[in-house]
Amino acid sequence: MIEVQNVSVVYGSGEEALPALVEISFSVGEGEMVAVVGPSGCGKTTLLLAIDGLIRPTAGRILIAGEEVRGVRRDVALILQDAGLLPWKTVRQNAELALRIQKRRESVDGILSALGLNGFERRFPAELSEGMRRRVGIARALALRPRVLLMDEPMANLDSLTRERIQNLILDLWWEMGFTGILVTHDIEEAVFLGQRIIILSPRPARIREILENPGMGSHEYRGSPEFLERAKTLRQLLEENG
Amino acid sequence: MRLALAYFLGIVLIFGAWALVSFSLAWAKGRPILPYPWEAAVAAGENIWTLLSAFGTSALRFLVALVISFFLGLPLGLAAGFEAKLEQFLSPLIYLLYPMPPVALLLFLYLAFGLGEVVRLVVVVMALFFQVVVAAQGAAKFIAPTHVVAVRSTGASRWQLYWHVVIPATLPSVLTAARVSVGLGITMLYIAETKLGILLPPSQGLGRFIEYYTFRADIALAGVVALALLGLLFYVVLEVLEKRLCRWKYVGVKGGS
Repeated sequence: MIEVQNVSVVYGSGEEALPALVEISFSVGEGEMVAVVGPSGCGKTTLLLAIDGLIRPTAGRILIAGEEVRGVRRDVALILQDAGLLPWKTVRQNAELALRIQKRRESVDGILSALGLNGFERRFPAELSEGMRRRVGIARALALRPRVLLMDEPMANLDSLTRERIQNLILDLWWEMGFTGILVTHDIEEAVFLGQRIIILSPRPARIREILENPGMGSHEYRGSPEFLERAKTLRQLLEENG
Repeated sequence: MRLALAYFLGIVLIFGAWALVSFSLAWAKGRPILPYPWEAAVAAGENIWTLLSAFGTSALRFLVALVISFFLGLPLGLAAGFEAKLEQFLSPLIYLLYPMPPVALLLFLYLAFGLGEVVRLVVVVMALFFQVVVAAQGAAKFIAPTHVVAVRSTGASRWQLYWHVVIPATLPSVLTAARVSVGLGITMLYIAETKLGILLPPSQGLGRFIEYYTFRADIALAGVVALALLGLLFYVVLEVLEKRLCRWKYVGVKGGS
């Protein structure tokens, strides 16, 4: 579904050139969920924005469904860090935003109630809890019924209970909607809970260090199981060696 | 209700101070200099239709100038703040022209536009236009990148980006700036109506009204009060507009994100 082939991204040019990604290659199958982990500021977000078509790779190419990515694709949705809600739009207007921009008329009622947001449609983001704001951000992306869902640390800066709830929610939605997912995170447990495979990036400029298989992933109960803890330990070691 | 009371008290206070100044001046100079508020009120009553007509003309003139300034200044200011490439090019131009007082160019404006309605509008627009441009540019420079990415990632066109992000994000500060500029705008309106309105009857604007009755201080003062009320009217209208259009600014926890 997604093929990243030898992708490098360099910001700026000449003496000020700042490489962010170096020859990244991997592929994600249809309906697969992959986690990308790496230290803060290593270039994870750059990778995600390149797959979304917002940043053009300096070298290499990215294919989605066999077509090279040359701009934003309508079957790809992005969930931003801190949700990126527009404070001047209500919950409903925020959730509808992507649909309306694409001139689609579908209703967001279904997705809003699935995410426990009904009754809040007319509130502004400033009136919501942080956890609810993240859910509105998820609603905005999923309202598009995307084939590919890109997630940039959707659980960052949440308290641990809310974080686990939203992780469960994303897992359930993945089962239900069958999208292909790429989750960028720096949280070890989160990567193990949500990634069928875990791609480990080096510090900036990011290269792929290792790809860890994680076949046990897929249920709420996986969290806390011996296998889960074992994976988390392995991943932690790999990241520490990475340093 | 409390607000109405506060305004009532304010009016009483201003009229009291005014009466006091009138009295002190008359006492110090030995002859009446500044008419008392009640004298101005009587004069206003006697010339009420001319005064109302002058008020209406000035209000309409100011409204048209304000709308034109927004119409021209908002797109230019937003583009100059939001498009990095345009900013480099436009910023020096804007900052060189911004401090230039249109009053200093009255003669040329008169030669270029004559003494008609157009020239009076041009003077007010020139003053308000730059206020709008500078406010819009300043606000557009500090739009949160995540709002831009959020909208761009949905495949939005340039125009949609402006409609969903740039305009709503900058509207509160642009409207605030417009509100602050009302004082300057009224001053320019007065100058345009006096200096460039010498052929008009007193009903054709408050500036002209005041100028026409230069030697009837009580009537002229009634015109000055009307001019102050005109400023207040626009100040209030812009504030109500901001509260309506930017309701999101006034919800949720104070100081929250």
